[in-house]
Amino acid sequence: MDKKLCVLPCNGIDKSLGVVARTVALKLIEKEPEMNLICPVLLNTSDERYETILKESNIVIIDGCMTRCATKLVDERNQKIFKRIFIPAMSKQFKIKPGTNLELNENGQKLAEKISIEIIKELKASEYDEISIEKKLEEFDFYEITVDKYYFQVPKDGYFFNENDCWVKPNGNTALIGISDYLQNRVSDIMFVELPKVGTEIEQFDDVGSFESVKTVLDLISPCSGRIISVNKDLKEHPEWMNQDPYRKGWFAELELKNFDEDWELLMDGSGYFKYMKETITKEKEEMDFKN
Amino acid sequence: MSESYDPEKETFMGVPRKKIPWWPTIDYVKCNFCMECDKFCPHDVYARIEGEEKKLIVKNQYNCVVFCRTCAKTCAPDALSFPNKREITKLIKKFRSENK
Repeated sequence: MDKKLCVLPCNGIDKSLGVVARTVALKLIEKEPEMNLICPVLLNTSDERYETILKESNIVIIDGCMTRCATKLVDERNQKIFKRIFIPAMSKQFKIKPGTNLELNENGQKLAEKISIEIIKELKASEYDEISIEKKLEEFDFYEITVDKYYFQVPKDGYFFNENDCWVKPNGNTALIGISDYLQNRVSDIMFVELPKVGTEIEQFDDVGSFESVKTVLDLISPCSGRIISVNKDLKEHPEWMNQDPYRKGWFAELELKNFDEDWELLMDGSGYFKYMKETITKEKEEMDFKN
Repeated sequence: MSESYDPEKETFMGVPRKKIPWWPTIDYVKCNFCMECDKFCPHDVYARIEGEEKKLIVKNQYNCVVFCRTCAKTCAPDALSFPNKREITKLIKKFRSENK
């Protein structure tokens, strides 16, 4: 676990949903032993006990009822929050009612387990976000061509392309995806991006979000199948990175690959795509010249 | 289109474009002929027909970019549909394996 995290649950001895809150916290500690558990009573009476942990960590707050004791304990501080969990809402979301007994029944245990898994999933996804920043900045050799005022690049190695001008860069069982330099040139200045949701399962050639330029709106058509494990949130602030650096800073999403051995059969490597791109550009140029 | 453009020779993933049944279908019950799809599509897939009941048709179906369905997103009454991508992918794979 790269990110320091602590968890503050409801004390969990008043209502069954509170007991669920406490159980979720215990399960989190079990699954992620580096996570620190904060006792709400001790925090309330002797907060210097947790001063260092709270300063260094993001916190998961778990409230069991509307009194929201855990939230109130943190709201007075300037604390970095990773996630707030409200057990009654989670009970509704998962359609699991734990009953009213303070000794958790099977449903209560099941609900606590599901919530803890959900939190861990989110935690892992946010870690991937940070890892990806390093991955996308690698240097690469490329093929290049200038046509009129336009200059196009295609990486020589490591990237694979579909005929919809989108690329995939596999790395073990994960991969980054994005659009080619040719496509960004063609659509011109990109102004907005609509990123896919983390966790979405996609098949090869599915639409994975979209981007809007001064000229058009287009979907990114995924070159491979898999599950989205992170997205390039920085593109919300800097959509122009898709134009300026489409193969690195302009990556769109990261996937856990599902069937790349098979997906690969319908993709081109850098040299194949460069040839295909040149033919497309030549054809377009002929059409433009003919119209003029 | 340029003189050198020959739809018979166009391919997608090595498969003749004419073997791939990918293009939009217009539901004329829903279509209100706002022409947003035609305004969007840079490939002249659609054509407007003046004086006809069906004022918009899919004219150049093989110009449609395989797997692109962005025009459907411009359609407020949701009158455009496309084939199933899984089926089209299967078909492309089948054609490629038969013609290796």
